[in-house]
Amino acid sequence: MIKLFTLKQQKKDGESGPDRGKRASAAQLRIQKDINELNLPKTCQVDFPDPDDLLNFKVVIAPDEEFYRGGRFVFSFKVGQGYPHDPPKVKCETMVYHPNIDLEGNVCLNILREDWKPVLTINSIVYGLQYLFLEPNPEDPLNKEAAEVLQTNRRLFEQNVAKSMRGGHIGNVYFDRCLK
Amino acid sequence: MATQRKGGTLDKNNKYDRQLRLWGDHGQSSLETARVCLINASATGTEILKNLILPGIGSFTILDGNKVQGEDVGNNFFLMADSIGKSRAQVTTELLSELNEDVSGDFLEENVDDLLQKNPAFFTSFTTVIATQLPERTLLNLGKVLWSVNIPLLVCRCYGFIGYLRVVIKEHTIIESHPDNFHEDLRLDYPFKGLKDFCDSLNLEAMDKKDHSHTPWLVLLYKYLQVWEEQHGGKMPKNFKEKNAFKELIRQGVRKNEHGVPEDEENFDEAIKSVNSSLHSTAIPSEIKSLFEDPACLKLNSESKNFWIMVRALKEFTETDGNGFLPLRGSIPDMTADSERYIQLQTVYREQAELDSVAVAGHVHALLHNIGRDEPLNPHTVRDSQEGSISDSEIKTFCRNSAFLTVLRTRSLEEEYSAETANTEELGRHVMMEEEEDASDEGDDTVLYILLRAVDRFFTEYTRYPGYFNNTVEADIPKLKACLTKLIHDWGLTAGIKDDYIQEMCRYGASELHTVSAFMGGVAAQEVIKLVTGQFVPINNTFIYNGQRQTSTTIKL
Amino acid sequence: METEWPGRWDHLQKIVERGGPFAHPDFDPSPEILSFLKETCKILVIGAGGLGCELLKDLAFMGFSDIHVIDMDTIDVSNLNRQFLFRAKDVGKAKADCAAAFINARVPGCRVTPHYAKIQDFDESFYRDFHIVVCGLDSIIARRWINGMLISLLRYEDGELDQTSLIPMVDGGTEGFKGNARVILPSLTACVECTLGFYPPQINFPLCTIAHTPRLPEHCIEFVRILLWPKEEPFGAGVSIDGDDPKHIQWILEKSQERANEYNISGITYRLTQGVVKRIMPAVASTNAVIAAACATEVFKIATSCCLSLNNYMNFNDTNGVYTYTFEAERLEDCLACSNKPQAMNFSEADKLQDVLTYLQENSTLQMKTPGITTSVGGKNKTLYMQTVKSIEAKTRENLKLSLKELGLEDGQELYVADVTTPNTLTFQLRLATTMDNS
Repeated sequence: MIKLFTLKQQKKDGESGPDRGKRASAAQLRIQKDINELNLPKTCQVDFPDPDDLLNFKVVIAPDEEFYRGGRFVFSFKVGQGYPHDPPKVKCETMVYHPNIDLEGNVCLNILREDWKPVLTINSIVYGLQYLFLEPNPEDPLNKEAAEVLQTNRRLFEQNVAKSMRGGHIGNVYFDRCLK
Repeated sequence: MATQRKGGTLDKNNKYDRQLRLWGDHGQSSLETARVCLINASATGTEILKNLILPGIGSFTILDGNKVQGEDVGNNFFLMADSIGKSRAQVTTELLSELNEDVSGDFLEENVDDLLQKNPAFFTSFTTVIATQLPERTLLNLGKVLWSVNIPLLVCRCYGFIGYLRVVIKEHTIIESHPDNFHEDLRLDYPFKGLKDFCDSLNLEAMDKKDHSHTPWLVLLYKYLQVWEEQHGGKMPKNFKEKNAFKELIRQGVRKNEHGVPEDEENFDEAIKSVNSSLHSTAIPSEIKSLFEDPACLKLNSESKNFWIMVRALKEFTETDGNGFLPLRGSIPDMTADSERYIQLQTVYREQAELDSVAVAGHVHALLHNIGRDEPLNPHTVRDSQEGSISDSEIKTFCRNSAFLTVLRTRSLEEEYSAETANTEELGRHVMMEEEEDASDEGDDTVLYILLRAVDRFFTEYTRYPGYFNNTVEADIPKLKACLTKLIHDWGLTAGIKDDYIQEMCRYGASELHTVSAFMGGVAAQEVIKLVTGQFVPINNTFIYNGQRQTSTTIKL
Repeated sequence: METEWPGRWDHLQKIVERGGPFAHPDFDPSPEILSFLKETCKILVIGAGGLGCELLKDLAFMGFSDIHVIDMDTIDVSNLNRQFLFRAKDVGKAKADCAAAFINARVPGCRVTPHYAKIQDFDESFYRDFHIVVCGLDSIIARRWINGMLISLLRYEDGELDQTSLIPMVDGGTEGFKGNARVILPSLTACVECTLGFYPPQINFPLCTIAHTPRLPEHCIEFVRILLWPKEEPFGAGVSIDGDDPKHIQWILEKSQERANEYNISGITYRLTQGVVKRIMPAVASTNAVIAAACATEVFKIATSCCLSLNNYMNFNDTNGVYTYTFEAERLEDCLACSNKPQAMNFSEADKLQDVLTYLQENSTLQMKTPGITTSVGGKNKTLYMQTVKSIEAKTRENLKLSLKELGLEDGQELYVADVTTPNTLTFQLRLATTMDNS
């Protein structure tokens, strides 16, 4: 046991030199580690609009195979001070015709919500997102219309994806061009 | 069905929101009709009341014949410096009343012993009585009065870093015990007709991929149990090995893609995970079986509590309509599924539970008729728990909780305090243990109870507590030790207790530390809330808090 | 107001003026202890809510007289069932102000100083002044923040902890009938970050369930909250949900009810809706009383040494009987917060950032591969160099050629370095020598 108050007296002012400024938070230290160790597949790229702000950044995924090859999809990441206890908030900024991403940019990926664990990293999330483009899951959809097409008519789905990426209407929804 | 609770100037739904989420509107109603009596407005006493007034107890009455002293104001939040010399009952009642305008407070400045002598009936008008700082003899007298009319008594005291709480109640019955962990009531081993029909109407092989992966795991278990039982002479998987084999059987059912690779089917994962917890055999818990054999259940009369009438009806249900089982609980856990089939499955369970509850109600009404309780009894001559009729919603709640019913019967103070009936076996075990142990090791908080008893004996002998005065601390140590030795001897035990403890008790000198009072104030208030709401399970029967180590123990004395 | 009277401290004096076999080895019973509590010892209470109100009362009655309290909230009607320093007339006022005023009026000689503010509004010089910090918070983020702050106040001399820089943290938490109390001696015993796993994760339902396969009433409410509200913006563009605005809750309730009806789901109520939207934890006076009392007892023990401290964690639950479990939570060897002792790094002002990078890579005990270096200026992160991320590398490459002075780095500044060779980001403290010829 230590002698905490051996002096039992007033705390001395300014005894410890100048303030070092507020120290980096645990969330900040952790995200720095995550970012420094990003090890992304060549189809993914991370972009920091402000290199001093490691908590807000974009991830761009440009799949080179399957339905979405040739497309370019931008995701915004917002990491809060609750990280890594709480997952980052991830939104898709590119309008995409995808069973697991809705037209508002909400993404249905288990590790972003119900299955998030502090041991997971930004890298795990990027891999998860990439997987969504390789293996869209029509059984648990967010965009139900897209999921139904994928389930019933793969050809048509493929055509719809291609059309949406070129820029065009699917039904009455207009998709901006997002080809590389 | 939220009852409108308007009182004072605030909406009670809003004011009590955070606690209504714990005990519900019906729990709150019980709380708001309860009348508690506090004997002695010590720091501990007022802290208990504070935690009852805030959540909205019906009314409180403080009985205290003492005048406020300087040391009282030093540890009691509900006294002020200018209260010194005034009636402690009055000042604390006034300051406590400020906490909640929906609670009515009252006081009586009178000596407890005198009142017990003159008008013992005074105490029997309360729902619960709380006593602090009472000498042994007074306590035993009070205990006797309340025991005879089955009014719960809580005895609470704080002594240095020690907290003590005793619950004394002849019988307390609990329907909603809110257990933290429990088995779901799924009946996979004895599926009822509705469940069978629903599951049999589904054909896994014929489903498309989406339906297959969204079939609730409960249905999967049902289906694969059928397969298993066919292969195993109608028996369920019982041991570890069989359960693993059964899990493998389920795993084989996962759909495979065109390359022969199993698909991700979360419902199958959940089914496999649920095997261990869901395949337990449906049976009446032994605690409930013993209630069926309780004389209060077997010998009903017109004065019987609703609880016991319902237990009897439950017993009859299990012997007839229920085929040896309790009524179905009627709830299922959440699971991966499409909305439609999950809701259908939920409805299947709910409807069977409804049928069971109606059947139990049939027994209840027949029993009420038999004991002549068809009509409500005169509400002025009977106590709350003996209303004539029993409502359907009461029966439903009872059925839903039938696996968790709890009856608490503590021993009386008289039994605890008389040498012949004291629980010396329990006490002896702790004295012995303590002797062998080093004081710095994990000790046993039961020793603190024995020390408190020794201190009371000291008080009986010297009319002061050991170490109360600064100049007698040292001299009191051997005296306390002598008291302790006598006490242990009276119990027919031979061992002793480390001298360190005796010395520490003399250091305390009956001081009542505010934070220890505040701790026990929280604990005791919660036990009162349990008693008046009939929800959650109170202690049986003595709780000891060790503030030095932040540990505690509960013992039956 | 009379501030002293005969007998006032009788109960406490027995404990602090008499020795005992179970006291802390350092315990030196004397009347000076009470004087220390009353005149010198400075306590910070964080949170003036359910635990905070109790803590203030408890500490005031245990002899502490110089107490500060921080809380950023105002009083709501639903606080009144347990936050006993507030009355109906106080609704809408600052919790810290009301709580302090009540205690100061009730307990003669006690001076509670309120701060209606966020903990993040104060810096090291504020926190350094306290002997002990007690927390009654319901936010994990706030707990982690204050934990980090107290760790950053630690001073080391030749690698040895300067014990006068250590501020113990006593922390309480409650939910319904459950609670816990703990004592943290930063860098010596398990800290908040070491035991982050103790805090249950938030319940988040899968989005696809919320969107298309709701089964529970909660799923319907979450649908309205997460997906429908941003789409419909019922109270105007950009207006986010205010869980305390009955109009907002009413709207969510109605929409949730519609959705529940569509799927034959039952059980949507106003109470449930508000509970889900605000993520309300049930709370009751008794549990707060218990946990705050245990915390205040520990503060008293640390300040007086009258007996041994809790080592170091107590769980409490009084649903079924009354249950406590006391144990020693263990430090995490590679804790991001408390094991990250700053290492000294000596350079001169004229040295370039490249020199620092080279040092990190070539120093025989470090041998880092691709270190990313950041620092903190005025509480904000500044990325000095990071080569693994292309976009950052491009924007920070020029820094390598700049001297440390040119980068605005000062003596004592902390540098944070992440690298594959270490499990966590490391903290270095820059020792900068001034170079005369460079001025």
